[in-house]
Amino acid sequence: MEESLRINRRKFIKAGGIATTMLMVGNPFDVFAKGEIKKLTILHTNDVHSRIEPFPMDGGKMQGLGGVAKRSTLIKKVRLEEENVLLLDAGDIFQGTPYFNLYGGEVEIKLMSQMGYDAATLGNHDFDNGIEGFYKQLPNANFPILISNYDLSNTIMNKSTLPYKIFKKGGLKIGVFGIGIDLAGLVEKKNYGETIYQDPIQKSNEIAERLKHDLKCDLVICLSHLGYSYRENKVSDKVLAKQTKNIDLIIGGHTHTFMAEPEDILNLDGKITTINQVGWAGINLGRIDYYFEKQKGSMTKTFGKYEINNTI
Amino acid sequence: MTKKNLQGWQALLFLPVALLISCKSHFDLVKANRQQYNINTNVSADSAIIKTYLPYKQKMDAEMNAVIGKTDTVLFKGKGAESTLGNFFADACLSEGKKIDPNIDFAMPSTNGGLRNSLPKGNLMLSNVFELMPFENELLVLRLKGTDLQEILKFIAQSGGQPVSGITMNIKDKTATAVMIGGKPFDLGKTYSILTSDYIAGGGDDSFGMQHPIEKKVLGLKVRDALIKYIKNQTSEGKIITAKLDGRITKN
Repeated sequence: MEESLRINRRKFIKAGGIATTMLMVGNPFDVFAKGEIKKLTILHTNDVHSRIEPFPMDGGKMQGLGGVAKRSTLIKKVRLEEENVLLLDAGDIFQGTPYFNLYGGEVEIKLMSQMGYDAATLGNHDFDNGIEGFYKQLPNANFPILISNYDLSNTIMNKSTLPYKIFKKGGLKIGVFGIGIDLAGLVEKKNYGETIYQDPIQKSNEIAERLKHDLKCDLVICLSHLGYSYRENKVSDKVLAKQTKNIDLIIGGHTHTFMAEPEDILNLDGKITTINQVGWAGINLGRIDYYFEKQKGSMTKTFGKYEINNTI
Repeated sequence: MTKKNLQGWQALLFLPVALLISCKSHFDLVKANRQQYNINTNVSADSAIIKTYLPYKQKMDAEMNAVIGKTDTVLFKGKGAESTLGNFFADACLSEGKKIDPNIDFAMPSTNGGLRNSLPKGNLMLSNVFELMPFENELLVLRLKGTDLQEILKFIAQSGGQPVSGITMNIKDKTATAVMIGGKPFDLGKTYSILTSDYIAGGGDDSFGMQHPIEKKVLGLKVRDALIKYIKNQTSEGKIITAKLDGRITKN
């Protein structure tokens, strides 16, 4: 039995993509699994705020920076070089240039679709034209809007978002979910309407547990618009990282924080949850390359080292 | 065998094994390399993207590139208790607001968080004002009791200063002291008229003190339109837009 399996397996390898599917099922043998490394590249933005063109050359601090067309060049280059790429955005797509005032977000969403964004979450400014204003632009989006802690069931968006999505890339399962900020005090009530904000920590723990354990994701990413950190005792990405488990990466937004490098925080499990945020206005494009090693059959096998370098 | 058959066959065979180890994901994270790309003038533009937004841009530019005024310096927010941008913003709104309601005592038309871009030196285009004030907020006049106004002063002091006009103060230990409104000392027993926006009046940016006005008047003028009117008026009078730090809010 075993022998015939081995023979057949070689055939699978020749069949290309099938071999990866095999690994997903859980291979009890050590035949071709040993030392197998998979690579995943995450590209990310946050708080682009309708910055379609680079900042104008007007003597301002930001002059010449940003621009969707330049970002697209970088994204295309990475996609040519890397097999498994996810492109994500942490919200506040809308508001900040006349493109939004005149076209209501149509240009922003169309360009994100053209660049092949895989998912985005909702920021507070994405409500600036009301829930209807965002809803109206959804036909231009070919990517899902992920938000797990807004109950939108009594709004026009009740079928427009997903709490999370699992992406399958080269045999890896990546669970991505969205977390939004409390809208009260940030957005006018008439604009967010019947949107109900739910506790981000509780929700994140619930979703991350489901993604990592029940749905067996190899990596769990939270797209968060909570903000990096606050002086006062307010929930932020730093608080979220410390008070949750099963999240590998928080891609943050809202506070427009230019981080010198991603921050690694020990979570409730004593494991690393990384926070990254890349400023705002599309001035930077974040990149994290993750490398995975296939488990060698045993449940208890642990790999001692998780190596982190702030260079590609 | 087709691909589909193979998968079905394999799933059948391995299912029991998969269940045994089902509590874990299948790959362990062993390494992360991180980097960020700065998107600057050295990066070339993707013409396919420009092609998509060009028709929108042309229509927008025709409207937004109209020059409506001129500045003699860059107006920006900075990190101090007052800023050139905040002073310009509040002065412009107060000036236009008083044309509709001359009884306004002072203005806090936005928080610092609501000032979304600096104004460049030189020609001011309509787009600059849209980027400074992209929101559709309306100007309101609230008549407030002195005790409520004290809450607003508390908010201004605790947050380290906000864009104001017609009022001066010194922030000491996060408390507003030596408060003067319209050149007279703040009197807790009096009522005051404040010019603000519907956003701030609703507690936006965690502001407080405006929940219980004695009277609320909607001016029918958006904050952005007030700024545009002010700039256009200055221009038609031959004036250049300028703003200084004049010590309206000091910190000691």
